[in-house]
Amino acid sequence: MKTTRSTLMIILLATTIGLSAVILFPNLSEAESELKTFVTHSGKVIRTTGEVIDPLYTVSEVEFDPMEYLREFNYGNVSKLEDGTTVREYTIIAEDDKVMEVSPGVFYNVWTYNGTVPGPTIRATEGDLLKINFINNGSKEHTIHFHGIHPAEMDGVFEIVGPNGGKFIYEFEAGPVGVHPYHCHVMPLEEHIVHGLYGVFIVDPKEGREPADEMVMVLNGLDTDFDTENNFYAANTIPFYYQHHPIQINTHELIRVYVVNMVEFDPINNFHLHGNLYNYYPTGTDLIPSFYTDMITLSQTERGIMEFEYTYPGKYLFHAHKVEFSEKGWVGMFLVNDKAESDENGMEYGS
Amino acid sequence: MRMEWNMAVNNTSKFKVAASGVIPFTFIIILMLYIFGPGGDLLDFGVALPEITIEKVDFIDSEIQATVRNTGPIPVQVVVADVNDRIQPSAVEPDGYLERFETTLVRIPFEWNEAEPYRIGITVDDGTRFEKEIESAAFALEFTPDLAIFFAIIGTYVGIIPVMIGLLWLPFIKKISKQKYHFFLALTAGLLLFLAIDSIEESIEVSNENLANSFNGALLVATVVVLSFLALYYVGNKIVSKSDSLNFSKPVAIGLMISIGIGLHNFGEGLAIGAAVGIGSIAFSTFLIVGFALHNTTEGIAIAAPMSRGKLMIGKLAIMGIIAGSPAIFGAWIGGFAYSPFTSVIFLAIGAGAIFQVILILLQWIQKENDGNLSTLSVVSGFAIGMLVMYLTSILV
Repeated sequence: MKTTRSTLMIILLATTIGLSAVILFPNLSEAESELKTFVTHSGKVIRTTGEVIDPLYTVSEVEFDPMEYLREFNYGNVSKLEDGTTVREYTIIAEDDKVMEVSPGVFYNVWTYNGTVPGPTIRATEGDLLKINFINNGSKEHTIHFHGIHPAEMDGVFEIVGPNGGKFIYEFEAGPVGVHPYHCHVMPLEEHIVHGLYGVFIVDPKEGREPADEMVMVLNGLDTDFDTENNFYAANTIPFYYQHHPIQINTHELIRVYVVNMVEFDPINNFHLHGNLYNYYPTGTDLIPSFYTDMITLSQTERGIMEFEYTYPGKYLFHAHKVEFSEKGWVGMFLVNDKAESDENGMEYGS
Repeated sequence: MRMEWNMAVNNTSKFKVAASGVIPFTFIIILMLYIFGPGGDLLDFGVALPEITIEKVDFIDSEIQATVRNTGPIPVQVVVADVNDRIQPSAVEPDGYLERFETTLVRIPFEWNEAEPYRIGITVDDGTRFEKEIESAAFALEFTPDLAIFFAIIGTYVGIIPVMIGLLWLPFIKKISKQKYHFFLALTAGLLLFLAIDSIEESIEVSNENLANSFNGALLVATVVVLSFLALYYVGNKIVSKSDSLNFSKPVAIGLMISIGIGLHNFGEGLAIGAAVGIGSIAFSTFLIVGFALHNTTEGIAIAAPMSRGKLMIGKLAIMGIIAGSPAIFGAWIGGFAYSPFTSVIFLAIGAGAIFQVILILLQWIQKENDGNLSTLSVVSGFAIGMLVMYLTSILV
């Protein structure tokens, strides 16, 4: 009797110790020895036997390609009225069920216009008649509210478009000249904007602008854990993308950046360019620049046009000088090529 | 004929007993199978949220290392590491995929500055960020013979020396009357009760600060306290009842039990001191050491009181002093070199349980000597003064 009791005690003790050992040291059994390396943001090379976590996207992995978005302009389906007015027709479809990998391994429910954040860049010339066919395929109510001049009933605020196929046609004349945001204006507004329902609307002057290598940068943030603080910041949604995939430009060539700040929660954002200064046109409404600077400060939906040329080839950073933002993804790089060399490849200009 | 009939009855009843024991289990198994199988949809509501706990942060040369445990209901993937809310490319060893309760080591290359506060953040695959704040960065202690000796010296100061000093009261206690003797035994019980409460408080604090809710900190402590109490109660009674055959006198047996209990408690104190040195609050631990030393002198009295009734056995007394005091050294080693909040909680709770059983033994002994009476003035005042003395010396800690 006594022996069985003590055996029982020993078994009980052994099980307890065994179980706690498993809880305490679960990874004893899985040893991996393959050595990987990675480079820190300060340039140090680190070796590890484990897994590397780095907000570094390779081109093949990325679901939304910031490089493609950068220089893509949607001019719409063009037709002419009898009086010669250009009519541009666009179709924009809203959805709110997509889960996108926004940074390697981070999955976030994005609400999209035409499947991307930001939505397509809508571009027209001042005076064009715009017809935007809006379809809401989401599960919530959505609208499109354009910044600019238009009749009240085209403002996308009180004309709520219902979910699951609701439709609305926004019709107005393009204007004024400049760069403007468009976004959903359904309450709670903050929620609809931070999930990604916004995009850029460019109105060109009738006489056009000087030819340039043109690009769009939407400065945005992602609050992936819904604590009203952004976990990531970026130019064009994907954190650190243009740092690891520099934007290729040429020396002595005019670069025009349409920049729109859509960051929520943080009162300001800013844009600092390295090794250069730029002419800045606030809101792009005036054809004469207001500043020659390397630093602008932008509040919510504040935007403008930046124009610059690089004299020397090489790598130049551009980033928020609010360093918190740049260290959480809002940082990029221009790779300036010598024009003499790149001319052979032929350079495409924006329109 | 009659015998066979009896056998048959016996067999059926045995079968009935077995069946009645097994049947409820069968139903539990059926219920589980149903819930995990066809009945799963019934319970399929609500959203399971991921949760991780950053249990430990170590600062080493140009690197910060965070030990992360999945303490939520679902597996998670560790995908982003940050320091002060600034994203840093990092390594996860062995990998970032964590099953429930699994841990991993996140290595963040970072040029940190000594004595500055840092917030270490880990983001999981659904974008949720978890954070741990470190008040003051300091190099993680690495094992060196010098440091081991340093900890051994601290352990000796805190554990062995004060207990030995406390034992020097033995000749005094030996010469006093029975009433006064009971006063000292009760004083010991009071001292110990204070220590036990102190250990429980400390272990709950450690668990609240460092362990995830899924460990049910307070209940973990309660369970370990009770288990430790029961185990020592069983073993202790065996030792006391066999003290004659083992050539122990009863006072020696009780003294031994008390020193084992105090030893377990001092192991927990050693852990706390080692950990305090480990997280860089050196000044704090000098203060801690002085406090503990004064505090622990009273532990010597606890051993001396029962031993005063036997022959004066200096050898045995010294051994008991070492049993009670030396665990502080081992505790300091473990706390300094291999600190884990989980082991801390467990050992502090074991110490508390051990002390409760010692208190029980002391009270039983006083009761026996006092003809079943515990409510004498000497006992009550001894108990009360024991608590008070401990409280007053604890202010120093």
